[in-house]
Order: sequence, then C-alpha cells, then structure tokens
Amino acid sequence: MTQVRHPDEPAQTDGAPLLEVSNLSISFDTREGSSTVVDDISFRIDRHKTLGVVGESGSGKSMTSLAIMGLLPKGARTTGSVLFKGEELLGRSEKWLRKIRGDQIAMIFQDPLSSLNPYYTVGLQIEEAYLAHRGGGRKNARTVAIDAMRRVRITDAERRVDDYPHQFSGGMRQRIMIAMALTCEPDLIIADEPTTALDVTVQAQILELISMLQAETGAGMLFITHDLAVVSQVADAVHVLQNGQTMEAGPTEQIFSRPQDPYTRRLLAAVPRIDEVVDVPRPVFGGVQ
Amino acid sequence: MSSAGLQEGSGSQPLLRARSLVKEFSVKSEGGGHKGTFRAVDDVSFDVYPGETTSIVGESGSGKSTTARIIAKLLEPTSGTLEFDGADVTRLGKRELQAFRSNVQVVFQDPFSSLNPRHTVEQIVSAPLRYQGMGNPKDYPRIVKELMVRVGLNPDHSGRHPAQFSGGQAQRIGIARALVVDPKLVICDEAVSALDVTVQAQVIYLLRDLQRERGFSYLFIAHDLAVVRQITHRVAVMSKGRVVEEGRRDDVFDDPKDEYTKTLLAAIPRINPEWDRARIAYEQLQMSGRPSAPGGSGALGTD
Repeated sequence: MTQVRHPDEPAQTDGAPLLEVSNLSISFDTREGSSTVVDDISFRIDRHKTLGVVGESGSGKSMTSLAIMGLLPKGARTTGSVLFKGEELLGRSEKWLRKIRGDQIAMIFQDPLSSLNPYYTVGLQIEEAYLAHRGGGRKNARTVAIDAMRRVRITDAERRVDDYPHQFSGGMRQRIMIAMALTCEPDLIIADEPTTALDVTVQAQILELISMLQAETGAGMLFITHDLAVVSQVADAVHVLQNGQTMEAGPTEQIFSRPQDPYTRRLLAAVPRIDEVVDVPRPVFGGVQ
Repeated sequence: MSSAGLQEGSGSQPLLRARSLVKEFSVKSEGGGHKGTFRAVDDVSFDVYPGETTSIVGESGSGKSTTARIIAKLLEPTSGTLEFDGADVTRLGKRELQAFRSNVQVVFQDPFSSLNPRHTVEQIVSAPLRYQGMGNPKDYPRIVKELMVRVGLNPDHSGRHPAQFSGGQAQRIGIARALVVDPKLVICDEAVSALDVTVQAQVIYLLRDLQRERGFSYLFIAHDLAVVRQITHRVAVMSKGRVVEEGRRDDVFDDPKDEYTKTLLAAIPRINPEWDRARIAYEQLQMSGRPSAPGGSGALGTD
C-alpha cells in the first residue's frame, strides 16, 4: 500500500488544527464507584494525516472515538476538550452535533451489516445521508449516490444502487459504508476497526481504497485498531493506549523502530510475523492474563 | 530458517488421513423447494502426522470450518474416507464414536460459549474423564490441579466459574479440558483468534510447548496465516471448498505455487522488516549497552 504524505499542504486558514484532543477523560459511575475508561489523553490530527490509535480490549480506544462523535453511552462523564477546527465538541447539544456528524466528521465502523438498514436499498441510504446535510432534490442525491458508489469501485453502480445490503458481500458492504461516509466530503474520518471483520484479501483492497480517497479529499483520519501491522501501514503517527492511558505516542516509524515504553515493546514483540518464526523457550507464566 | 522442535513427519505413518472428503448441503429455492446442492467441501485430502501440526487456512466460505467439523465427527461427510490411527473411522457406531472422542479433542474459538457457565473449572476440566469413565473420580481434583498449573492457571481457582476468568484464562481452561484425556489429536478451531495479541502470543507458545512435551498432533484451523506460521508443520490452503495447495510450512509460505496462495500471502499486512530489525537492535542496545550483531535474535529470540 502506498503511504500518502503531503508535506506541502498549506496550513489551515484559521490556524487551528483539524482535531485537537486535550486531557480527555471519560468515566462511568458503577456500583463500586467511579470507573475511568479513558484517562487524560491528548493528541492532534491535521488534514491529510492519519493518526492510528492502537490498543487491546479495554484500552479505551473505541470510547475515545465515541467521545469525539458525541456518541458515548448515557451516564458517561467527560472532562477535557475536543476541538474540531477550533470549536469545542464536548458538551454540545445532540442537535448541533448531528449537523457535524456525517457531514464534516464521518465514521466508518467495524460491522457494515449492523450499520446498514436491511429494509432499504443501499442507494436510498446513501441518498438520505447526503440529503440530511446538503438537501436538494432526490434526483440529484441519486446521482451523488451512484457517483459515490463508483468512487469506491463498485462495478455497475447504476444497477446496484437499487440493491439491498444483503445482496452485497462483506467487503462490498464496507465499500458502501465508505461511499456513504464520503458523500459529504468530510474533513475528518473516524475509522473504528474498519477492516477487522473482513477477509485479509478484502482488507487489503479496503485499506488501499481508504488511503486513496483520503489522499483525494485531504481529510484527516483517526484510525482505531487492535492490529499493529495494519496501523504500521496506514498511520503517520501512532498513539498506544492501555487501560485508558497513553503509553506512548509519536511518528509511526519511531514507535515501531525505537519504542520506549515496556508495554509498546511487549505489544510489538507479540505480533506474529508472517515472514518469520519466533521460537522462545518456555515462557514464564508469572503474569497470566 | 531452522525450526527447533519441528521434526519431519516423513517415515512415520499419518495419524489422520483424510481422502477426497466431500460435503454437500442442499440449497432450497425461494419457494422452499429443492433447488440443488452446494459443495462446501470439495474433494479435500490431507494428512496429520504424529506429534505434528497440520493447519487448514482460508478465508470465509473456504470450507475450512466444515472440514474441521467433519474431522471432529460433528458432521457426516457426503463422501470420502477418514482414517485415524490406521483404522477407517468414516462411519462409526456409538461405542466406537466414544472411543474416537477420547482420542480427538476440540478447542473452540470462543472459550466462554464453549464452557458451561454454571460449572466450576474442576467440573469442566474433569468432564471428559467422567464421560469416558477414565480413572478414579477421587483423583480428578488432583489431576485437574496439576493440569491447571501446566496451562498457566492458579490451581487454587479450581472452584471458580468461567465468568471469573479473562478470555485468555478461559481459553487455558478449554485447553486443559482438551488435554485431560491425553488425546492423540487436538483440533483447534480458531482457538486463538478472539484473544488480544499479547495474550494470543502466550497461548500460541503454550500450545506449542504442550505438543513438544506430550507428542500429540494438532489440526489447526485458522484464518490468520501469521499465527499459523508460528505453530504449524504442514499447511493446507483452502479456497471455495477445495485445497488449492498443501505442503510443508516453509515450502508453502516461502515458495507458494498456487496463485490464490500467492494472493493470500501478499495481502497480509506486514510491519516493515527494517523497523523490526531496528527495534530489535535498539532494544538490545538499551539492555546491554552495546549494539547487537546483524541478524541477532530479538527480545523474544527469533530463530
């Protein structure tokens, strides 16, 4: 996959970074007291750049993306700040956020089947996503939908626009989700495990497609994954989370070639490599997980 | 690449010999009538040698899980034969099936849904012994505790229930249950797929060490080829119900002959090997205060 970098990209006109997360904490009240799932994390994402947030289960990576979108479950308490193009997102009304979501900030989830409505054609769903933010006539929206399906390389888009989600394979459904995410030309794409449910050959195609479309639109991307090999290919910078805390953050090459934190090192050593066999003497099970 | 502990299976007879396995499912038309048949498994043959691991890899719909179910005798093949330990086991009576089950155990993908939530670890791990009528039930608590220690669990927790364990620990319970009857073949059906990567690595090493100690065989079903490479001796690549390539591990991984195998291997996301080399050298430098020799082993000791 080609890594897309735009060193000559002009700074944002208003001077603010695309997304700036500062000292974000998320906690829930439980019977045993308050439980903190994200603990004081900070990062920024510029246009054209991809930040990879990696972690294992319980690391808080998905909670972070939900917080940015204002989609945290009820009862979540957030502190800190999430600035999108200089504007605070935390504490905004649902009505205000709805205008931003799907328009300036798009989201691609892991499971396209549960994100698509089985009762409507994919065309109608892409059209609705467009009409909700841009308005205009149904006829124009249909043209936009067909065009979006072409951009994500769905062949015979004019005909397939009237098909239902179940008539597409998993990879094709994820293409439709991406088409939907891109119709409004978002400034920021939040991709939460977008290829985790896909076969590896399909994953390769989708990752290439996402990179290509990002290069075309110049959107910034928050890419959330548990897969370190994937993140090593798509991200310009990496943020390593464990139990809600930042273990390490930096440019991708630095994290992968000169990791400072013991957890990052453990994580990198644990990834099975397709091109080599790691053989260790019997490991010590002192800290059984 | 040397592979310590991975002995050649040549010379010995296969423990399991699958020949021309076919599994057809009938497909109903929209009106409910009989429309035709779908071949989920199409002329599949492979061998598993004593003390070795054969892996079946493939993407969704490849037929690998259906093949595993046939081998585990959870599904009857439409045609084809299955030989185990020199005997034809294609079709078995009830008593023969019970004997077969003591020799062939399964470790499933989702440890929680395959462990009875109402039972204690002791009940779960000793269940195959009880089912087979093996040993003296008075010895079960001791046997379970010894096995718990070996798979990396605290033996004092034998009275706990599955929900009190993490995913990695629950999978260790599943492994202990599979090994308690001393089987000749353990079928691992995506056994490490659901685990976090640091936990997954520990379980892979555990599975490999147990095989070296006890000499049983694995039939390892997985979609993750990088995991398979760490544990297997032989590999069969399946696509659309057929085995498109089969052979010894390094032959298939380093010099694939089939086009689909090549596509599959090329699609696997890789960490830049130069970054890996830099990292290993960097970590060694930090630990010892001097640079390592080129190609030197990493923190985990690569071979």
